[in-house]
Amino acid sequence: MFYLQMLAQYIGQYLKTRLQYRSDLVVELVSDLLFQGVNLIFIIVVFGHTDFLNGWSRDEIIFIYGFFLVPFALFSSFFNIWDFNERYIVKGELDRILTRPIHSLFQIVLERMELESLFGAITGFVVMAYAGARLGLSINWYDPILFLIFVIGGVLVYAGVFILIACISFWADARTSIMPMMYNIGNYGRYPVDIYNTVIRFVLTWILPFAFVGVYPAAFFLRREEWYVYSFLTPVIGVVFFAISVFVWNEGVKRYRGAGN
Amino acid sequence: MKNAIEVHGLRKEFKSYSSRSGLKGAFRDLFSRNYKVLRAVNDISFSVKQGEMVGYIGENGAGKSTTIKMLTGILTPSSGDVVVNGMNPHKEREAFVQTIGVVFGQRSQLWWDIAVQESFRLLKKVYKVSDEEYDRHMGHVIRTLDIEPLLDKPVRKLSLGQRMRCELAAALIHNPPLLFLDEPTIGLDVLVKLKIRDFLKEINEKYNTTILLTTHDLTDIEALCDRVVMLDEGNIIYDGALKNLKETWGEGKEVQFQFLERVELSALEKVTQELHVKWELEEKEQHFTAYTTDEANAVSDLIGAVISSFQIKDVKIMEVSTEEIIRKIYEKGEV
Repeated sequence: MFYLQMLAQYIGQYLKTRLQYRSDLVVELVSDLLFQGVNLIFIIVVFGHTDFLNGWSRDEIIFIYGFFLVPFALFSSFFNIWDFNERYIVKGELDRILTRPIHSLFQIVLERMELESLFGAITGFVVMAYAGARLGLSINWYDPILFLIFVIGGVLVYAGVFILIACISFWADARTSIMPMMYNIGNYGRYPVDIYNTVIRFVLTWILPFAFVGVYPAAFFLRREEWYVYSFLTPVIGVVFFAISVFVWNEGVKRYRGAGN
Repeated sequence: MKNAIEVHGLRKEFKSYSSRSGLKGAFRDLFSRNYKVLRAVNDISFSVKQGEMVGYIGENGAGKSTTIKMLTGILTPSSGDVVVNGMNPHKEREAFVQTIGVVFGQRSQLWWDIAVQESFRLLKKVYKVSDEEYDRHMGHVIRTLDIEPLLDKPVRKLSLGQRMRCELAAALIHNPPLLFLDEPTIGLDVLVKLKIRDFLKEINEKYNTTILLTTHDLTDIEALCDRVVMLDEGNIIYDGALKNLKETWGEGKEVQFQFLERVELSALEKVTQELHVKWELEEKEQHFTAYTTDEANAVSDLIGAVISSFQIKDVKIMEVSTEEIIRKIYEKGEV
């Protein structure tokens, strides 16, 4: 409850700060929308050339991509921890975090949120609506609920993986280039995993489970029954990965060495 | 009275590896690294009573910051016991930090982009301070630190002195019984320093707040702390009253003379040969400095003897400053 209150407080503060710089806000809104528009056109152009991919139709692939954008937008709004090492470890900002009575990871989430990224979710919905209409998908009463659960599962998968990578900083001093690499690998989850060979498929399912952010949950809404087991595993994998990452984080904080003055 | 801070055999070791030289060395480093264990804090023990103001001093790298970070729950000790406000700082971190205030002089606690009062408001929520409590306590803090006009300005537009006063106020939002100040007056002008010192004295008296202070500016310590803990290479080399330190180390007095006419050093030595005096001459300015003992009448005897033989232009009696004492101690490495 306290954490929800704090989230509301920080979001309020975030909006206030943004509104203070009105011209910046307008520029940012316009450029974000423009970016999303370009993204949309890009998707349609790229997928316009593929008809069938290993049994998946063009519209199905577009739908999966649209679904992927929603958890990804939520992830990028709340888990900006890609520069954790530099900002919090090297500069020693974690010192400040650790002297406040809120869980350290949650404080970083609050401090680093970027709500503009939520616009990506709108693009996701537009893309899904477009592909869904062409496929003639029906919506059942339970679909919105499952959609929400799958999206949260996907966000937790993404967050878990990236928190684990951020945790490396607690053990190793050197800066790593794993973060950008991981963003790349994350993109593989947007495509049907059965187009890859078994090893990559295994990795994307159980080790870096990015398939649970895109193709697996989306398959449910495409009514691909052969994938239903994986679809319903989405929240489970999400919770498991997130729990592991929080555990590792807590262990890591104990090993934090602090930055010299 | 219960102790605010209780430390037993506290130790912090850092493992670092030293790289070998050259390309060949770099390759060898890949396979086996030479680890070196650095002991930043070496089995120290001390306790601080509720309401005490303690100065924690030491050279750079003596282990001050490391100790403070262990006391505030930021770092986990390698071994030893720490009990602060009746809790283990690292184990019960979130409950524990509710009972302390921390100011790191070189790092801001406030949000850079938002107005000071917005930062305060957010911190008030973070520390779950009620509106009544906030108004009662912070109204006073804001008035005393004279930061009312700064409240609606964003932190990045404040000067260092203004920011520091706001930082101090921010650390006190939840009125903690224990306050850690790490270099709170670094880079501040004299007026701001005085204001901050007066303020710290006031809250110490009013709320019986315990204050642990590290600083390079010994005048801060002289003005605020009765007790100092001195650290060198991870060991406590002195723990006690500042006054005692002065009495043991500030041995002797210095008297500086300037004369109207030219005077020979040997003539002065001859006049004062019955007293225990050592003379020194600073050639350029013709300042003669006499070092004498601490005995009650040593200074008057010395001045009397000199005045009766020479025409004096100026006399200065100097006490050894704390800074000099500390320097002496560090040169010797023990108390």
